[in-house]
Amino acid sequence: MARFIAKRLALGLITLFLLSVLVFCMANVLPGNVGRRVLGPFASPTAVAALNHQLGTDQPVLKQYWNQMKGYVHGDMGRSVSTRQPISEVLWPALGHSAKLAVLAFLIVVPLSILGGVVAALKEGSVRDRVITVGGLSATAIPDFVWAVVLLIVLSLGLGIFPSTAAWPDGSGILTQIKYLLLPAFCLVFVLFGYIARMARAGTIEALDADYTRTAVIKGLPQRTVLWRHVLRNSLLPTIAVVATQVGYLMGGLVVIELIFNYQGIGQMIFRAATQKDFPALEAAVLVVGVVFLVSTLVADILYSVLNPRVRLGSADS
Amino acid sequence: MSAGATPPAIDPVGDVAVALGPPRDDARLARKERLQVLIRSKSFIAGAIIVGFWVLCAIFGKLLVPQDPLASSPLNGLEAPSADNWFGTDRLGRDVFARVIVGSRDIMLIAPAATVLGTVLGTALGLVTGYFRGAIDDILSRLIETVLALPVVLVAVLAITSLGPSNVTIILVVGFVFSPLIARTVRAAVLGERELEYVAAARLRNERTPYILFAEILPNVMGPVIVEFTVRLGYAIFVVATLSFLGFGVQPPAPDWGLQIFDHYGLISGGYWWPVLFPAAAIATLVIGVNLIADGLTQAFER
Amino acid sequence: MSRNQTNRRVDEIRAKSSELENHLIDEYSSGRLSRRDFVRRGTVLGMSLSAVGFLASACGTGKKTGTTGGGGGTAVQAGGKEVQVRAGGTLKLGMSPGPSTEIDPIKVADEGGLGIMSQTAEFLSWSDSKLHLQPRLAESWKPNADGSVWTFKIRQGVKFHDGTPMTAEDVAASINALSDPKGGSNALSTFAGVLSKDSAKATDASTVTFELDAPNGNFPYLLSSDNYNAIIVPKDLSGKWEKTFPGTGPWKLDRYTPNSGVSYVKNPDYWDKSRIPKLDSQQVKFYPKEQAQILALQSGDVDVLIHFSPTGGKALLNDPKITVIELRSSVHREVHMRNDKKPFDDKRVRQAMALAVDRNALVQGLFAGKADLGNDSPFAPVFPSTDKSVPQRQQDLEKAKALMQQAGVSNVSLTLNTWDGFELGDLAQLLQNDAAKIGIKLKPNITDAGTYYGDAVFGKSPWLDSVMGITDYGHRGVPNVFLNAPLQSKGVWNAAHFHNPTYDGLVKEYTAALDIGAQRTAAKKIQELLLDESPILYPYFYFFLTGTKKNVGNVEVSAMGHYDITKAGFTTGA
Repeated sequence: MARFIAKRLALGLITLFLLSVLVFCMANVLPGNVGRRVLGPFASPTAVAALNHQLGTDQPVLKQYWNQMKGYVHGDMGRSVSTRQPISEVLWPALGHSAKLAVLAFLIVVPLSILGGVVAALKEGSVRDRVITVGGLSATAIPDFVWAVVLLIVLSLGLGIFPSTAAWPDGSGILTQIKYLLLPAFCLVFVLFGYIARMARAGTIEALDADYTRTAVIKGLPQRTVLWRHVLRNSLLPTIAVVATQVGYLMGGLVVIELIFNYQGIGQMIFRAATQKDFPALEAAVLVVGVVFLVSTLVADILYSVLNPRVRLGSADS
Repeated sequence: MSAGATPPAIDPVGDVAVALGPPRDDARLARKERLQVLIRSKSFIAGAIIVGFWVLCAIFGKLLVPQDPLASSPLNGLEAPSADNWFGTDRLGRDVFARVIVGSRDIMLIAPAATVLGTVLGTALGLVTGYFRGAIDDILSRLIETVLALPVVLVAVLAITSLGPSNVTIILVVGFVFSPLIARTVRAAVLGERELEYVAAARLRNERTPYILFAEILPNVMGPVIVEFTVRLGYAIFVVATLSFLGFGVQPPAPDWGLQIFDHYGLISGGYWWPVLFPAAAIATLVIGVNLIADGLTQAFER
Repeated sequence: MSRNQTNRRVDEIRAKSSELENHLIDEYSSGRLSRRDFVRRGTVLGMSLSAVGFLASACGTGKKTGTTGGGGGTAVQAGGKEVQVRAGGTLKLGMSPGPSTEIDPIKVADEGGLGIMSQTAEFLSWSDSKLHLQPRLAESWKPNADGSVWTFKIRQGVKFHDGTPMTAEDVAASINALSDPKGGSNALSTFAGVLSKDSAKATDASTVTFELDAPNGNFPYLLSSDNYNAIIVPKDLSGKWEKTFPGTGPWKLDRYTPNSGVSYVKNPDYWDKSRIPKLDSQQVKFYPKEQAQILALQSGDVDVLIHFSPTGGKALLNDPKITVIELRSSVHREVHMRNDKKPFDDKRVRQAMALAVDRNALVQGLFAGKADLGNDSPFAPVFPSTDKSVPQRQQDLEKAKALMQQAGVSNVSLTLNTWDGFELGDLAQLLQNDAAKIGIKLKPNITDAGTYYGDAVFGKSPWLDSVMGITDYGHRGVPNVFLNAPLQSKGVWNAAHFHNPTYDGLVKEYTAALDIGAQRTAAKKIQELLLDESPILYPYFYFFLTGTKKNVGNVEVSAMGHYDITKAGFTTGA
């Protein structure tokens, strides 16, 4: 186990390195220079040159990359080019915000979808099953921004139950924060439900068909015990795999939801950094998202093996 | 292929005649079976109808609609659905019905093109990594992991910010971003195939590697490839629509669905639901249609 | 006051007034100037408000000239009567988008930045919703005989928020920082040809003189809130302004979070006791997308939207829970056509293009009627110096087609460049439709702002190099900037490549004119010349719209993007 983790961490570092290079390459392929972008088209060329010098963007590309990496090693993420604030002051809160939303969404969608998937699988082919699967599929197919807008109109403007943004007033307690986050969380629930439910359903069907289930039933165990002990555990496995892949989406791919709900998450930060061509901020945010993704897949793989002792870590194809 | 005709048991290759027998036979029969499953699958039929409808719209759209999708009439902006404008007008006075029908063209060109590109690249990548393993596999897999570490939309946004939004850029970007995902699936399938007899037989015949990869293994992994293609196609439509919604997709005045939603979603709160609802429904139905086809194909290839 | 007493008082004022001011009074008495324009002009010249107010009623002819705000709907005109509000409370405002760069007074160039700067810091004068100049940190100002030297009396006893006194030296230092080319200030374009570096001198603790490059009758506007970089800051400003927002204003900085929002608390030691804020504090939230702020106002998450667009906020215009304040402004778009490239090198083609545009449809479709028609010159209806007798150009497709035929031009294709902000994309598409009717095939190329502006110099900028493009111009209190940079032969923003010596001469005439009559005479000639030459299309000048909840009163805005809520508050509840 320890060797497995070590190997994965090492591979993960290589991936992160490649990621940083990728972002940096994109940064320097761009036309236009940073100083001009920040000061706008009407600033004088001397001002632009001065700013470029101050930001260090007039140095050779490799040197800039090296400086940036050196900074990371010292825990310094550098400053945002557009706001001149230290990036860490924006990044960690943004990460925290994304995490809050992700956790809330997961807390709602995972139990709901597993329940849905199991219920559908128990009566495979029935009306109940079709409704859940087809319904889930349709919901997933609808883009998240469509859900966001529809829910906003109906639940926020129409019925007035929820606030129209996710940006809660400063200093709100945890309950208020949850209230503000419910609407975006529901959007995510709709988007993710079908996918996770489908996995849970498939896993349940497979488990129901499996030998050990038949054995358990023959042995005379009540259905509920069978369900809990064997079937559920096995349907959890593919679900965990799916959930792990969705962490990447939830922790960085929510640009649209964050924009519509005015929520300062990491997705919005990356989007803004990209459109403002603020590459120190972009580099830092992308790497952090990469780390989150790699860690979550690692954790998922570990959980997977713990729950299913039949999978031998060393030989598992990643 | 002609159903019913039996293939020769002997297939002359150059000077040496090699007995092929069962594998080719089986393959043909399997294909026939799959087709039958497909035709009977309700999901496939439903999906094919929906997608077929949109394909027709994409090709014949301009001829089918009574109004010009590009003709603006600012004095008639945001009029509710009526006999003149079945889906109402958008904020520049253009007919929403025409724009939804004709708007299928851009997405039906871009999304499939991107998916084809991604599939071609991904398949090649998957074949190579799955067959060779070892160092090449490790390095390429690392690269694949890198790109996959980020959500698709973000990567696309980054690339388009660098390169500027144009239809060609979108196709290239989305295609490149999809290839790792497809490569993974193909690689897994290849891993399963490479140990089989026919591969060993081909190697014994001293066939060159490209031949083994593309003429021997590829036909046998076509199943998963096709399924991947259709699944990814649904996702491609989703991604292209999202990019348009963020302003990085197809440029105005093109009647692109995502762009229409982008232009009008702020107006819903004023009661102007039609410029958003109809393009959204179009996106949803198309994606569902494609997913249904993918579903049917998965069932067929599961045999 | 009896008739005799009134007349005597008028004479007294006249005796003390300069030649310029007397001319202004003459114009007004004879009815050639509306009351509103008289008051406005008077404040610019530095006449005291009480004198101006007195003369306005004493010398008025009772004729009503000038126009009132346009547009339909239930919108309220800006600068209306003050209503009763409760004391205290926190007002929540929405701003979209927020400031996009660091808040540096010298460099700020966007509406978000200037709006939040002017909460804690102040200008020498304030240009209000009627374009009057109200004295702030300057008590009064006077030109010399020909308007080439202006002297400002600086208010005494004003303190910065940290307690240090504000003096004439701070004023001179602040303005000199803006006019210094090395500082790279955004204000350089405003001061170009008017004020050179180090031309502001503090002659004593309470007086600053400005030596101009050339006589300028509108100079005080350039030191008012219209020149949004011209806030007065401590002369030895060390470190970034953004840290504490130092200033003399009625609000003090509470907290600023870039890309998120800013909050202020009231300054109880503010020098103008009548304008100490009634509210306790204000919180501003930044919204990157306008739709989010519209929804926020509708659902009550904020109480005020400082500025929203008619298209994005269409729902607000008819919402009974919302009060919409509209302000005529000179915000406009310039559709330039390069005079030195085909097909626009022939002025008949330019005129044809101008005649093909359906301006009324644009105003209705893009702004729900909340805009003035543009007459292809920078002279917006809101400016007092605009000559309103020049006939308004309307769409005339027949004449346009005839002109195209005369010029022998048909079926041309060209690219229409612009960027993706505001309504520019929509305007491009609508122009495409209009132009198609006379045989000009336009292909919109809508990029992002950075790409469109490029390096903002000829040869490196699609804006300045393209054959046809649409550029956005923000509000100014006087048309000087619009007359110079985009249209003068040597103008740095001359995207139309318009080189006309007669025009250059007329602009000089206008700039030097110190009284309104002379300004109008020059304006008329300029307007007619531009209608004939049509180097640039000015389709409209749209209104500045602000939205508040019905229970919020006394929110003042300026078309630049400033907002003043010192008198604002809640009328009921909240």
